[in-house]
Amino acid sequence: MNRKIMSGVGLAAVASLALTGCGGQDEPAAADGPVTLTLAGWDFASTPEFETLADAYHEANPDVTVELKEYPAGDDYDTALTADLAAGAAPDVFIVKNLKNYVTFTEGGTLLDISDVAAELDPETGGLAPMAIDGATYAVPYRQDSWLLYYNKALFEKAGVDLPDGSWTWDDYAEAAAELTEGIGEKQVTGTYLHSWQSTVQGFALAQSGAPLDGGDFSFLAPYYERVLAMQDEGSQPTYATVTTNELTYQAQFGTQKAAMLPMGSWYIGTLVAEQESGAADTFEWGIAPIPQADESTTGTDATPVTFGDPTTMGINSGIDESKVETAKDFLTFAAGPEGAAALAGIGITPALIDDTVADTIFGLEGVPQDDLSRFAYTTHETLPENPVGPTTAAIQTILGETHSAIMSESTPVDEALAEAEERVANEVG
Amino acid sequence: MATPVAQEQRTLGFTEPGRPPLRTPRTSLKLRNALIGWTFILPNFLGFAVLTLTPVITLFYISLTSWNIFGAAKWVGLANFERLIGDKSFHTALGNTFYYALVHIPVTIVVSLGLALLLNQKLRGAAFFRTVAFFPYITSIVAVAVVWNMLFSPEYGPINQFLSLFVEGDLPGWTVSKDWAMPAVIIVGTWKDMGYYMLLFLAGLQTVPGELHEAARIDGANTWQRFWNVTLPCLRPTMFFVTVMVTIQSFKVFDLILVMTDGGPGQATLVLSQYIYQKGFEQFEFGYASSVAVVLFLICILVTVVQFLYNKRKEA
Repeated sequence: MNRKIMSGVGLAAVASLALTGCGGQDEPAAADGPVTLTLAGWDFASTPEFETLADAYHEANPDVTVELKEYPAGDDYDTALTADLAAGAAPDVFIVKNLKNYVTFTEGGTLLDISDVAAELDPETGGLAPMAIDGATYAVPYRQDSWLLYYNKALFEKAGVDLPDGSWTWDDYAEAAAELTEGIGEKQVTGTYLHSWQSTVQGFALAQSGAPLDGGDFSFLAPYYERVLAMQDEGSQPTYATVTTNELTYQAQFGTQKAAMLPMGSWYIGTLVAEQESGAADTFEWGIAPIPQADESTTGTDATPVTFGDPTTMGINSGIDESKVETAKDFLTFAAGPEGAAALAGIGITPALIDDTVADTIFGLEGVPQDDLSRFAYTTHETLPENPVGPTTAAIQTILGETHSAIMSESTPVDEALAEAEERVANEVG
Repeated sequence: MATPVAQEQRTLGFTEPGRPPLRTPRTSLKLRNALIGWTFILPNFLGFAVLTLTPVITLFYISLTSWNIFGAAKWVGLANFERLIGDKSFHTALGNTFYYALVHIPVTIVVSLGLALLLNQKLRGAAFFRTVAFFPYITSIVAVAVVWNMLFSPEYGPINQFLSLFVEGDLPGWTVSKDWAMPAVIIVGTWKDMGYYMLLFLAGLQTVPGELHEAARIDGANTWQRFWNVTLPCLRPTMFFVTVMVTIQSFKVFDLILVMTDGGPGQATLVLSQYIYQKGFEQFEFGYASSVAVVLFLICILVTVVQFLYNKRKEA
């Protein structure tokens, strides 16, 4: 009996070793025959963009098949992908999901230099230029969402407040939020909703002030925080405490008409259309306006409003089989170029390259607002990264994230919290 | 313990001069028994060795390097530990970890022992209430955190609405206040863990001999005296086990804080294990994160060794 068990265990061990041994081998593909590229993505059931790009490319290049490899969604994507990269088992092409890890991936030698691909792309491609590190580019943006102001036309009319016209500064926005809250006059319904993320304050401040993230001086954040704190104190928006403890979601707040305005990324257009169709959100008329500006120099439809948004980028695994490099570069050129952009727009996703075809496709979707300002807001903006490419970005953002919760919960006064953040950056980030 | 040595000597003594000592059937039987025993432990040990022991040993090496997970780790000697000395966030995390542990350990022990004593009585529905007390322990931590966060909500939460009946003026901000976030987390931690330790204490209470209580009662000891002089000394093995478990668990608290406050507001509830996670998996400083992990490991082992020594002295 004992011996039988032991030999059973032995067999199982040998079998599993043999199996894992097989899985680790790469099959070299001939350069001129059919090629299979592997692409890392996450949560395919609710994130159709990877399959869309793979199918569109295969249709244009029947010789090449793009095989998808699914990773977990959320922050686990980076963790799981990092483990595979370190083990040399990652796919040929992968998504650099969080811009703040781009430098780590590059320094780790996991990304191939694809400056030639970047040179071929339209220079108008959103987020492309900041990807260069010392003149070389290692990943190219294929989608880029920008932050916009969503508003509920019905609630504006009810409160008797003028609709946004593209000329708003943040002070105009704060004033409108207060008027809306009062004009609507319902408990639980507020003029605007600001989600708990640090980017909802810091992203705008960084982009619109033009200050560097790693300059060691965070005073550029102060006016933005003071305005937001005043707004939550006067009840123009739910307080940070309520948002976090009650796990409020921006989809429910705006979608079920609990808030008349919502600063949010352009990805929400697709979500809102889908939720209105499925009934998860109320049916009401809405629009998109440019995000409010720091001052009047960038307001109005004859100027280009400044907003923020990180591009989602794609790079080539440096461990890729050499015979596949050219194919992989071609795939990246396709995905980040006009053809990939058109394919993405077809499923309601905002590509990094917004041309007329993309705008026509997005605004041709049923349920998307048709007014001129919405189209202007969607197509015209200077979008700066929330996480500028740099070796200290990840560490600074962690510190600023803690600063955000300290200020917004009103645990620490703005100046004190910012001074502490400056001190910590000097002390801990080197 | 004495028998095998004696046997060994006897075996040697009986060996004829000029011939090498032979293995007697007894020693080969012993060896066989040991081998069979090891074989049974092997699957478990293999799992432990591959998934726990190797990473732990590697950890010590990584803590002496600078490593962003890709490529080779660069040897930096004790530089990471020197950096710890001046790292204010690390000091905050260390302080918060001790804050959590030093409050959570005694409170959990007192509450779970109290519950165990209460539910050890011949009480109608005791089994039901034992289940009730154990329930939080088996509930998903995420669900627990979400529900408690809502209960603690400073503006609309039932806890503050209840408190406002008795207290005038400012109420605690709980998880969104720098001063109250840690007490809030400790309350939830205690509430979640008490059922498990209550169960251990209940098992321990069954071993307290009834005769001792009876004798004490005849001698005129009151309930408190009997608890202090009979129950508690008899519970020492259980108490020791519970203390060690609660201590280690408190020092490495992670998931509860991550989902309830994420270390905030500011760094008010940042604890060591979360700091390790931040440095390692968010900022890719695996060498530095490992050195923090080594410190946490040393704290846990030091506290445990002290507890073992104390227990041994009491036992003797």
